[in-house]
Amino acid sequence: MTDPTASADRPRRRPGLTGERRLSAFALLLVAPAVLLVVGLVAYPFLFSIWISFTDRVIGGGGAFIGFDNFRYLSGQAILGSAARNTIVIVVVTGILKLAIGLGLALVVNQHIPGRGFLRAFLMLPWAMPAFVAFLTWRVLYQPIGGGFNLILTQTGLYPQVIDWLGQRPTAMPSVIAASVWRGFPFWFVSILAALQTIPRDLYEAAKVDGATRWQQFWTVTVPGIRHVVIVTALLSSIWTANAFEHVWLLTQGGPSDATMVFPVLAYLGMQTQRIGEAAAVSVVMLPVLAILVILATALLQRDDDR
Amino acid sequence: MPHLTANPKTPRLAGMAATALCASLAALPLPAQELGGDLTYWGGLIFSEEANALLVSEIEAWGEANGVDVTVEMINQNETVQRVSAAVEANTMPDALDVGLELLLNLSAQGVFLTVDDLFAEVGAAHGGWFDSVAAATDTTAVAGGRTGIPYGVTGNMILRRTDLLPEPPRTWAEAVDMAASVTKPPVSGLGLALSNVGDGNLQVSVLQSYGGRLAGDDGKTVAIDSDATRAYLAWVKDAWDRGVFPPGNATWDGAGDNQAYLSGQAAMIANTGSVGIAARNDDPDLFAVTGYSALPAGPEGIISPIQPNLRAISATSDNPDAARALVAHLANPEFMAAYFATAIYGPVLQAQESMPAFDGSSLIHAGLMDLVRNGTPPGFPDVFNQGYAEALTTFVIPRMVQRVVIDNWTFDDAIAEAATQLQAIYAKY
Repeated sequence: MTDPTASADRPRRRPGLTGERRLSAFALLLVAPAVLLVVGLVAYPFLFSIWISFTDRVIGGGGAFIGFDNFRYLSGQAILGSAARNTIVIVVVTGILKLAIGLGLALVVNQHIPGRGFLRAFLMLPWAMPAFVAFLTWRVLYQPIGGGFNLILTQTGLYPQVIDWLGQRPTAMPSVIAASVWRGFPFWFVSILAALQTIPRDLYEAAKVDGATRWQQFWTVTVPGIRHVVIVTALLSSIWTANAFEHVWLLTQGGPSDATMVFPVLAYLGMQTQRIGEAAAVSVVMLPVLAILVILATALLQRDDDR
Repeated sequence: MPHLTANPKTPRLAGMAATALCASLAALPLPAQELGGDLTYWGGLIFSEEANALLVSEIEAWGEANGVDVTVEMINQNETVQRVSAAVEANTMPDALDVGLELLLNLSAQGVFLTVDDLFAEVGAAHGGWFDSVAAATDTTAVAGGRTGIPYGVTGNMILRRTDLLPEPPRTWAEAVDMAASVTKPPVSGLGLALSNVGDGNLQVSVLQSYGGRLAGDDGKTVAIDSDATRAYLAWVKDAWDRGVFPPGNATWDGAGDNQAYLSGQAAMIANTGSVGIAARNDDPDLFAVTGYSALPAGPEGIISPIQPNLRAISATSDNPDAARALVAHLANPEFMAAYFATAIYGPVLQAQESMPAFDGSSLIHAGLMDLVRNGTPPGFPDVFNQGYAEALTTFVIPRMVQRVVIDNWTFDDAIAEAATQLQAIYAKY
């Protein structure tokens, strides 16, 4: 016969969750909105666009799974190769130029020079200007007849002929790059300037005491001090440039011929035909390039953290 | 006293009388009726602010008279594809909208618009019938099982030239280049045609076709770009390029490139819908006074001057299709259209519109548009205007082929081979 009091002697389990589990559940509850937000606004559209790239979906139509057909179609287009090459060229060259200009100006403005505050604000203007205004202005400057650059060249006698900056292959890409650099360098400038201001003055004083030259101070104090920021800036800037549409579209529409065709413009042209499966495939083709950039930057940052 | 007697002709006469009565009633403005509900209309923004304002006020007045709460949004026509595409995907289409033939064709194949054959017939009957060219050009039955758009205006290209430099219009494209060469002297270039990746660049398709070139065969599928006619066309464009008759930058012009070149005096001759003439009338009366208008020149195979119809369509997802149909029918009324044509750069679509003041010959632009409606070629002709053809236009296959020749110095054969590959891939999808 069982002892009716036995159950009372056993440790009693409280109904519901233990304290630790309750804490975990509460923590999950707190992060749930953020997770939902990330899933809803980042993961879902990202995965959905990848899915669409494997379908024959058109605007207003359902779209069936067609495997790699869209990618096969794109790979048969010579323009895809041009877009890949041009995108890489624009990302790399504008990145290097923006770094050089941004770093140079940040180093200058970081000194105690007259009008420093005004200069800092002034140099941010290209970044503050709406992109379409900036690039339409550049388009006007590049006009063969009546454009600012040709007027300067012809009026000053530097070059007597009119140059069709955007209309010929040798000058089209450099012209697009120049406009992109002008619009984008302030971001590098302000990021590097902020990093420069976090480097303690003591380090420079110590380097001077040790007899370091200006170059050695730059190389051993400044560069390590801004390295982290430069990597993050390079990553962000590269992704933005690779995805940027307006600079090429407003200046050349990807032409002349395919001289300035880039992935976003190609995807846009795909959208114009309402074949969103193909347009999504163009975007997906870009992903490995961007993924390599992200992995590279993350690895560099991780290496810095591990030191 | 005469009295009615049985007559075998009576039923026929009665039928004719009934038909005449119906036609008369159809011709009358629809009586105001309480349709109720909401209605959103996307109008196509055009060059004339007066015309845009007229459309908005007409729709709003109609809404008030019929108890319909209307919202009119004017859409930049350069953004129509993006706006409509996004709206279709998000299921936020307006009840009715203005749309071009290419977009209408593509979306009709997906069932985005209601079929409106009865409305088309009703509007036609009420206003003297449709011009044959318009009716034929806008028939979407092959892709949608019926008509999905009600035409309201026709555009197309004509040649605008400075008569102080070029007193006579060019009769052929070859002559156009010769005439252009004779007046080309920096900063003036003779022939302001776009060779870039924009809609204006697709005029080159018409020039190609006037040389006998085709994108595809009569089946609308078999690519036919590789031909002697295409080579002859490329020889023409290369010759023009080498003689320097095109304004610099025309290989990267945006949609306003030819307008700006003509208005700024950099081009002596352009092909345009006439909007430049309107701009000149408003902003540069001297230029307007010396501007002459003529039909597109001929190639060896004749003139190819496609009409470009603009239509009103009703969304299949409209919550108020009856009101949308009533509005579209109402917008064909003569009072409104007469005022609209006077300020807009559109040719007529209905026979009764021919007698409107805009087309009495006093406006050279409208006279040119009237001529286009009468003598223009159907869209795509001699090609078949289908989805493949529309995609070839949208992806600028022909302007890009030309750019390969004039920018990259490719041989004709190589440029044609690349275009053929592109066209093959496009037509194979449909």
